[in-house]
Amino acid sequence: MDRRLRETTYEVLSRHGVDRRRFLRYCTMITAAMGLPSSMVSQVVQAMESKPRIPVIWLHGLECTCCSESFIRSSHPLAQDIILNMISLDYDDTLQAAAGHQVEEIRRRLIEEHPGEYLLAVEGNAPTKDGGVYCTVGGQTFLDVLLETAEHAKAIVAWGSCASNGCVQAARPNPTGARPVHELVHGKPVINVPGCPPIAEVMTGVLTYVLTFDRLPELDRFGRPKMFYGHRVHDKCQRRAFFDAGQFVEQWDDEGARQGWCLYKMGCRGPMTYNSCSSIKWNNGVSFPIGSGHGCIGCSENDFWDNGPFYQHLAGVPLPGVESTPDTIGKIAAGAAAVGVAAHFGSFVAKRALFGDKESKPADATKDTGDEA
Amino acid sequence: MSSISRPVNSPPPGYFAQKYVWQWPIRVFHWINALAVLVLFSSGLYIWNPILVPAGEPWNRFVMATVRKIHFAFAMIFVVNFVWRIYWFWMGNNYARSGFPFVWRRSWWRDLFRQMVDYLKLERGHRHLGHNALGGLAYTVFVIGLGWLQILTGLALYSESNPDGFWGTLVGWVIPLAGSSMAVRVWHHLFAWGFIVFSILHVYIVFYDGQQYRNGLISSMISGYKFYEADDIDHDTWIS
Ligand code: SF4
Ligand code: SF4
Repeated sequence: MDRRLRETTYEVLSRHGVDRRRFLRYCTMITAAMGLPSSMVSQVVQAMESKPRIPVIWLHGLECTCCSESFIRSSHPLAQDIILNMISLDYDDTLQAAAGHQVEEIRRRLIEEHPGEYLLAVEGNAPTKDGGVYCTVGGQTFLDVLLETAEHAKAIVAWGSCASNGCVQAARPNPTGARPVHELVHGKPVINVPGCPPIAEVMTGVLTYVLTFDRLPELDRFGRPKMFYGHRVHDKCQRRAFFDAGQFVEQWDDEGARQGWCLYKMGCRGPMTYNSCSSIKWNNGVSFPIGSGHGCIGCSENDFWDNGPFYQHLAGVPLPGVESTPDTIGKIAAGAAAVGVAAHFGSFVAKRALFGDKESKPADATKDTGDEA
Repeated sequence: MSSISRPVNSPPPGYFAQKYVWQWPIRVFHWINALAVLVLFSSGLYIWNPILVPAGEPWNRFVMATVRKIHFAFAMIFVVNFVWRIYWFWMGNNYARSGFPFVWRRSWWRDLFRQMVDYLKLERGHRHLGHNALGGLAYTVFVIGLGWLQILTGLALYSESNPDGFWGTLVGWVIPLAGSSMAVRVWHHLFAWGFIVFSILHVYIVFYDGQQYRNGLISSMISGYKFYEADDIDHDTWIS
């Protein structure tokens, strides 16, 4: 294993019969996939030729494995290329052939032999209630596995909304106390790659960046790589012209829906969702939800499950007993103010009518100047 | 101390005297603010629920874009006006500061209580040339407090198309603080209704107060002068 780890990507590729020309083409492709300008190609080539490959441990916690499903469907660069060539994926309990105690042994050995060298990829999150019993792997709580593996990791990649912000298992009322990785692991750099799942090319792009440059990509306030989460779905949406025009779909089967108008009034979360769906798209760039006539549900945003209903523009405010929007609450408050005003005015008029315009004398200020101001 | 805000020349019975209370920067602030809130709220309602449906192709229709532009323009006017008012809090006369909640002064609390009782009992009671404690508190909570919240959440939403830009750097922290971009929107909507609640109460109480105390309250926001009668004594004793 050690010899393999010290190899560079170029060496591995040439061992597999990849010639120089194809290697350069490969480097150009991943440079583009990372959203970098073509002037960076030479740096990528240099990194691929000189940097030894990094071991990766890929953990699975409380999750549905949609991130893995997405990842293995990546087209640029092929996930296969990454897994086989650029990283040394030494532990991934859903992809690897080995099972049982054997794999857990591999993980422990990796931690011991390469402390501070391996990259930890986490899919899913850890339930924390009742000692973390709601998710166990090989007899150990996932919380323990996570903390133990994170302790000696070089950096952590939090795959998907589960690992980056909690997703469905952390939605109200969060019965298992599920918490995202960055809230549990401290003192380690964490890259959040949210989405349910994240786009395959985004996942491979992030990994490629870390492996190529041996540093973290630039992150935003939520710890997401700016290169993929720097813009909202709305900013590059193909229906944006209809948004600006004020032409909105009102019903799923109306004329606007047929004309491809904006889905804002159908609850589209594009204006509040940072993701690359409208530029990279899904399934090798075939389409994305809005392209197919359905609004974005904001799957890469914090608390997106709690910010429902999905088919309503604004999130409901969960008041005990009533489901209402901020605007309903506002209308009720304004109504209450109007009623109060009317009641006061009514009594004012009634008092005048009953007792005439006998005004009360102003109070004498000299009596109640009170304490010194 | 209290003599500063007392009317000096008491008019003979049956006559009014007037005193210059609201300096022009306060009046300008007031009307710009009123206009900005009106435009911001109505354009905000449209952005929330765009009910106009322009026909035709979108290449020359910009209804939503125009309404948003108006909303942003008036938001900037609101902010500048707001900053201007804060500046005048320090530079203006004592009345410009009379709305401040002097919570550490017993006399302020007493005035707050008395004013509430006076309003509820529909009596004249105590007079002020500046703000009474209740009015001052309402302005502080609804205009200054809500104003800040609305400015912060609004600018954070405004910055969203360019998180690395000037506004994003300045107020982008509001988004993680609120939890998510959606949460910022929800708060912005809730706070907006606060201005409506305030406007209803404010407009009513101004008419009521002007009628009850015969102080020319409404015209004072145009002319700057408030009226008082022989028996009226300025009760702004808690303003130093
Ligand atoms: S469909 Fe959604 S993302 Fe696209 S322009 Fe409309 S609101 Fe924005
Ligand atoms: S369009 Fe929205 S809901 Fe769909 S995958 Fe992208 S971020 Fe998630």
